Amino acid sequence: MKTTECNSKKEPGSFRDPSGFLFWHDGSLYRQVDYSYKESYDRLMESGLYDALVKKNLLIPHQETEIFPNDSTKAYKIIKPVLLPFVSYPYEWCFSQLKDAALLTLTIQKIALEFGMSLKDCSAYNIQFYKGNPILIDTLSFEPYAKNQPWVAYRQFCQHFLAPLALMSYTDIRLNNFFRIYIDGVPLDLASRLLPSRTWLRFALLAHVHLHAKSQLHYGRKTIEIKKRDFSRHAFIALIDNLETIVGKLKWQPFGTEWGEYYNDINYSDKAFQHKYQIVSEFIEVTHPKDVWDLGANVGFFSSIAGKQSIPTVAFDIDPAAVEKLYLDCRNQKDSSTLPLLLDLTNPSPGLGWNNTERSSLIERGPADTILALAIIHHLAIGNNVPFIRIADFLSQICKTLIIEFVPKHDSQVQRLLVTRQDIFSGYTQQTFEMEFEPYFEIIRSVPIADSERTLYLMTKRSNAGAGPNKNRLPETT
Amino acid sequence: MNRFSKNMMCIILFGLMVMSAQNAHAYIDPGTGSYLLQILIASVVSGLFVIKMWWAKIKAFIFKNKPEKK
Repeated sequence: MKTTECNSKKEPGSFRDPSGFLFWHDGSLYRQVDYSYKESYDRLMESGLYDALVKKNLLIPHQETEIFPNDSTKAYKIIKPVLLPFVSYPYEWCFSQLKDAALLTLTIQKIALEFGMSLKDCSAYNIQFYKGNPILIDTLSFEPYAKNQPWVAYRQFCQHFLAPLALMSYTDIRLNNFFRIYIDGVPLDLASRLLPSRTWLRFALLAHVHLHAKSQLHYGRKTIEIKKRDFSRHAFIALIDNLETIVGKLKWQPFGTEWGEYYNDINYSDKAFQHKYQIVSEFIEVTHPKDVWDLGANVGFFSSIAGKQSIPTVAFDIDPAAVEKLYLDCRNQKDSSTLPLLLDLTNPSPGLGWNNTERSSLIERGPADTILALAIIHHLAIGNNVPFIRIADFLSQICKTLIIEFVPKHDSQVQRLLVTRQDIFSGYTQQTFEMEFEPYFEIIRSVPIADSERTLYLMTKRSNAGAGPNKNRLPETT
Repeated sequence: MNRFSKNMMCIILFGLMVMSAQNAHAYIDPGTGSYLLQILIASVVSGLFVIKMWWAKIKAFIFKNKPEKK
């Protein structure tokens, strides 16, 4: 039996759970199950619920280990869950990802009831995307079903899933960003105020969001006599069914577009596109990455090069429509390697929650083996005034190998950015680009793209780069 | 829907909720509103769920007995 006294570190995001916690030990992730959770854990494992959920890929599988815990008086078991290639958060998900996570939660709750158990919490952060599908990662979320008791996770389900989905569907797709502000889901009174009046005419939204919000406000500050009521199993199942029906009916589609027509706007000739695809394929073949992050992936043309080779690939884009389309495509094609996510590169996901460590920042979740930064340099340098040296510094913190495309100023896409603004970017040249990336990356290859003015680079990070902002290199901020 | 109608609907539903129960004593936490509303909604959707289940059975029965098209 090994001891965890050395080389173990608690995962900062799991401290709220009274039943156990996650910790890292010798590079592997483990979960301690406390004695206080013994009855529930044994019921989960012995009732057949664990096997049923794992068989359907709904719950993360784990193995019980022989590792000896730090505090053996509290620890009942140490389990080792399957390690995810990348942890994502609800504020990085598109509409259908959040919807699928909601439906997964309700499906699990229905199955759990069949085995005499119930979900005791419903955090969207308990769901992750693994091999193309949503999966519950919190093994300690179950408790024995208490007869005649309502669902303890009902409020959390409404705040983490129903309210944000309704807001994204009826009000504005960008409102999933509320997850960045509210760590325990969207406050229902806020959701109620932001949803359009017509949602008062839909029974499920009226009940679960609007009246729910009123009820919370009405009883929130009161000490009252609570009435004992019977909450039958039938009522419980009916409630879950009602939530499942309303979530299933929520839809979102970019205004005025059809998915088939979306994103045909490629600024390349066929020849240039084919050549670019070929070069990126060659670079990926040379580097043999363990994982790839595609920054500005659009609808995943180039992410698919890595995805087709079963390389775990995270395809980031700022456009909710592009991420939605790629997610639906991956889901239809059963692509188990590509994870589409929302990301504004100029304001990447920060560390959030208690002590700013409950949810990791983008940088903390890296570095990726290889990053694709195709056709984004002009958006960062000209569209957002980020100097080349800061782009190089940032990229060197999140990757080991970089495949980057330089787009010259006379390219029509860059000219489009300059139409309504003064050209103050005299330093935006290929020579300056290479010079300012040079301290951070070694240029291994550079290949001009045929039938275009653009160039693709393969670079590797220098060993002394990427340890955060280097004040000796970076210019003073203005 | 105007503000008056919304508030009237809330009053009616809360009225139903408060009237239909037996007494017990407890301290109230911030989740009380969610707890009480869940009970009210579940009592409404329970009836709808029964109808839904019966309708599904009727549909299944009809389609099961329908001769296959050649």
